[in-house]
Amino acid sequence: MGHDERELIGRSRRGDLDAFEALVVAGQDRIYGLCLRITGNSEDAADAAQEAFVRAFQSLARFEGRAAFSTWLYRIAANAATDLVRRRAADPPLDLAEDCPASTDTESEFDRRELWRRVHSALARLPLEFRVAVVLRDMQGLAYEEIASILQVPKGTVRSRLSRGRLALRELIGEIAG
Amino acid sequence: MRHEEALARLSALLDDELTEDEGSRLRAHLEGCVECREELERMRATVALLREAEPPRAPEGFAAEVRGRLDRLRSAPGLLERIGGLLRAPRWSWRTAAAAAAVALVVVFAANIVLQAPLFSVARRVEIPFPRIEGDRAEVDRGEGSGIGLKVRFLRPEATQTAVGKPGARDDARGDAAALPPLGDAASLRRVIKTGEVEIEVEVFDSAARSLLEIAERTGGFVASSSYSDPGDGPRGTLVLRVPASAFGEVLRQIEKLGKVQRRQVEGQDVTEQFVDLEARKRNLERHETRLLSLVERATKIADLMELEGEVARIRGEIERLTGRLRYLSDQVDLSTIRVEVTQKPKEQSGGFWDLDQALERVKAAFLKTVRQMITALEAVVALGAALLPLVLAGAAAWLLLRRIVGRRERAG
Repeated sequence: MGHDERELIGRSRRGDLDAFEALVVAGQDRIYGLCLRITGNSEDAADAAQEAFVRAFQSLARFEGRAAFSTWLYRIAANAATDLVRRRAADPPLDLAEDCPASTDTESEFDRRELWRRVHSALARLPLEFRVAVVLRDMQGLAYEEIASILQVPKGTVRSRLSRGRLALRELIGEIAG
Repeated sequence: MRHEEALARLSALLDDELTEDEGSRLRAHLEGCVECREELERMRATVALLREAEPPRAPEGFAAEVRGRLDRLRSAPGLLERIGGLLRAPRWSWRTAAAAAAVALVVVFAANIVLQAPLFSVARRVEIPFPRIEGDRAEVDRGEGSGIGLKVRFLRPEATQTAVGKPGARDDARGDAAALPPLGDAASLRRVIKTGEVEIEVEVFDSAARSLLEIAERTGGFVASSSYSDPGDGPRGTLVLRVPASAFGEVLRQIEKLGKVQRRQVEGQDVTEQFVDLEARKRNLERHETRLLSLVERATKIADLMELEGEVARIRGEIERLTGRLRYLSDQVDLSTIRVEVTQKPKEQSGGFWDLDQALERVKAAFLKTVRQMITALEAVVALGAALLPLVLAGAAAWLLLRRIVGRRERAG
């Protein structure tokens, strides 16, 4: 936690919206990304991410600073996103085109897009618990300890969720391919 | 290591999150298990693919939208915040609260002072209905043949109109109109000592005292004694009037016109029997004396003479004593005694605020009243607090529970 961030948190806690806006700008891409990969579409992702920042501002007083601010923010965002997904009755439209890395090779462009479509479908069908764990680990690149802290579960649980999530995801991608 | 165990640990192997022991056992399994080796490679490829994903960027204006929502929230606080705001003391400083309390106290104090002023004071003196003497409405109970005693019946004024002269009126002992015997033919044989005590409050003491003297003399009586004092709150005095028994009722009426009657008491003591007894004994002694005197005439021996003379003297003394007693009694019967206590009405308390003594008195009274009211209010608060304690505890528990639930949803949200 940088000195600037600590100061911004302090000012936000006292109700300084400008300071909080700076925190939003600093964290918006990571939080939006997490929400996007959990919800599977940009509209829900934006809603969840907004909701996460609003809740974070309202409960800043309860932020104890024991965990890193980003971890705390991730926790709120993961909750907001999973809430949104659970509330969704029907499967949301998948809209993760931007995940597809740009390619210079135009010939393989179609294949790559097809591959990512399969990845997204597989992710969307992955049970929520596993999806969150896999997204946090393999797409957000977080360590086991941080994931355990975000999900508030023991590290062993993270390990087993990741294992089962990755196995299931690999199978789902294979199924879709087949 | 069994195959399923190995399969479940491939993920951790990729992340290097296995213990040394687990790692070596898993590698040993992998040596001999093609399936696991293939699975590990597929998983490694999947993870690598996921890691390739472009980090997404938040949409344009995302931070501004968040800011907008927070601005709107601030102008319309959430339910929890609103309840919390209500529960928290109004956003007054302690100084404001203290000033408000002080103003309230001053208002109460001022109200107390104003309410003490004569303009608003309610007459606290209760008019106690005293029986009024109405001589012509009196009845004498003749003691049912058994005793000396005169019972004066008090008749209600309104009842008197119909009751007077009717036999039934005798039994109507309730009532507050005093009665005095109208001493008719039969009654005039009776001898009654009438005494009265009256306390009156008059405007001016001196003129009242003069009037009392005049009343006594006009009816053929006199002022037997008088005393006077002035302890500070106005002169007061006691006059004892002796007036002819026949004028007793009339005199009382006149006395009571002088001022406000505070107390009155009328008594009648029937001394008829004592009279009869005394007179009979006196007559006996006189007959005895006459006989002794006739014996004295005929006495021949000096010794007899001396003895008879001695006896006559003794009887004479006895007769004189009885005569004196009779004279005293008839004096008491003929002249009634009326004891009048006169007080002067305290000066009307109308000095206004600038009557310093009175103003101070009022301020003191108002101050004490305010203090008493504060104590009463404090008592009420304590009692109310005790009464509300269970409710407050329940409310606090509910509030904490609500906070936890909402807080958890926020954290879990």
